[in-house]
Amino acid sequence: MASHNDTARDEAALWVARMDAGVWDEHDESELQAWLDVDARRSGLLLQAQAAWLALNPAQNLAREAETPPPRVYRRRSFFALAGTALAASVAGGLFWFDDSTRFTTQVGEIRRVPLADGSIAAINTASQLNVTVAETRRSVTIDRGEAWFQVAKDAGRPFVVEAGSVRVRAVGTAFSVRRYDNGAEVLVTEGIVETWVSGAEQRAVLLKAGQRAFVNETLEIKEESAPPSSIDRALAWRGGNIDLAGERLSEAVADLNRYNRKQIVLADPALGDERFDGVFRTDDPEGFAMAVHSSLNVRVTIADDAITIGSAKK
Amino acid sequence: MDHMGRFERRHAIALWVAREILPHESAVRALLRRLRLLPQDIDEVIQDCYCRFAMLEDVDHIERPRTYFFSAARNIAGRRLRRAKIVPIDSHVAMDLFEDSELPSPEQVAGGRLDFLRMRHFMDALPERCRRIVELRKIEGWSQKEIAAHLGITEKAVEKQVWIGVKAIQRAWREADTAVSERLAAIEAGGQ
Repeated sequence: MASHNDTARDEAALWVARMDAGVWDEHDESELQAWLDVDARRSGLLLQAQAAWLALNPAQNLAREAETPPPRVYRRRSFFALAGTALAASVAGGLFWFDDSTRFTTQVGEIRRVPLADGSIAAINTASQLNVTVAETRRSVTIDRGEAWFQVAKDAGRPFVVEAGSVRVRAVGTAFSVRRYDNGAEVLVTEGIVETWVSGAEQRAVLLKAGQRAFVNETLEIKEESAPPSSIDRALAWRGGNIDLAGERLSEAVADLNRYNRKQIVLADPALGDERFDGVFRTDDPEGFAMAVHSSLNVRVTIADDAITIGSAKK
Repeated sequence: MDHMGRFERRHAIALWVAREILPHESAVRALLRRLRLLPQDIDEVIQDCYCRFAMLEDVDHIERPRTYFFSAARNIAGRRLRRAKIVPIDSHVAMDLFEDSELPSPEQVAGGRLDFLRMRHFMDALPERCRRIVELRKIEGWSQKEIAAHLGITEKAVEKQVWIGVKAIQRAWREADTAVSERLAAIEAGGQ
């Protein structure tokens, strides 16, 4: 089977070489057709080989860069302008290289995972914006809004500091998330230890270990709690595009889901908000969530173009 | 459609695939790997995707080729998993959950370019005679006929070197895609 495939692949390459000669008559076409007809998979092999060959064309013939939509990353200095071997070398490591600050923005419902220049990884949640600077002596991230989780590459010489309003979180090599709120930030630690404090009060920093979460208040109040690992995993399910509920109140679940979608869910009957709910849902599937509520709580669900209404208002 | 019509259509679709599909192959392979398909199954799903693309009459209506590629792979993989009956617990869920953002992320764009740069690197690794001919064909843009005249060899001899070149390029893409998809899958796994 494998050898049959290898043979067919080599024959596909031969056809590509023949087509590449630029001379093509009816006889060639019918011979090729006969070859293709032997096995349905051959058309795919031929296409793959022809595309691979055409991909060797100089880039300007292939890439219609002017026509492609602008990427959602905005850089203060153009990354692709730094073409050449430095680019090739950094990309080859699977890393981004930028010696300047880079801004990442996600739209509502968008979740992105981005490798950073130092080998760290950021997962950026819905409707968020952050600036990342990887410099020689420091790595800093500013969360303008939203939430991100970081897996920080170990580098004792370059502390990794996240700023969310006046809240600061520092890590050396660890994994944690920071969600910015109007009045503070929530920090969840999945690996290692981080240090968190409020700007101007570094002497009152608090250490958080894996499995701990803390809400850090802009007025210097730090509330920490030890959370069972499963609850942290669940709280970070968004990295896989999920919302993981285990007995959350319906009102909280709806608020959470509404972070990800323009089509908002409305609880028409406020009493439903106290119902407890379980299950794993897609962040981008509010309809699916509403239907699950419908079937498990036996309430009415109305799906319109702009909103989903759960329950009917009590007369 | 006459023979030239078929030739042109085939060429147009292959160009589109080179530009819009190949750069995402490693990401699609990484998805299939996360769905715990076996390597040979991954190859077959990818091949089935190309078969599907080969059947397209034209590609103008496909606004989001990357999304199209992902959903084709997902559908084909889903059918296989159901047929295999041994369905990893999470695959159906994961199948639907997989990110499907319509724009390629910057690392994927970079990944596509990386493959291109690698291709150039592989060109350098071709046997001397083959490399010379591939360069004249690709960089200078000469036809096989012009190359034959220039080098004083037959057109069949040029075609044979092109064949060697195509085989080397096929192999290079396969190796690069496997390596890149492994790396992407590792990054994803590390992040979960």
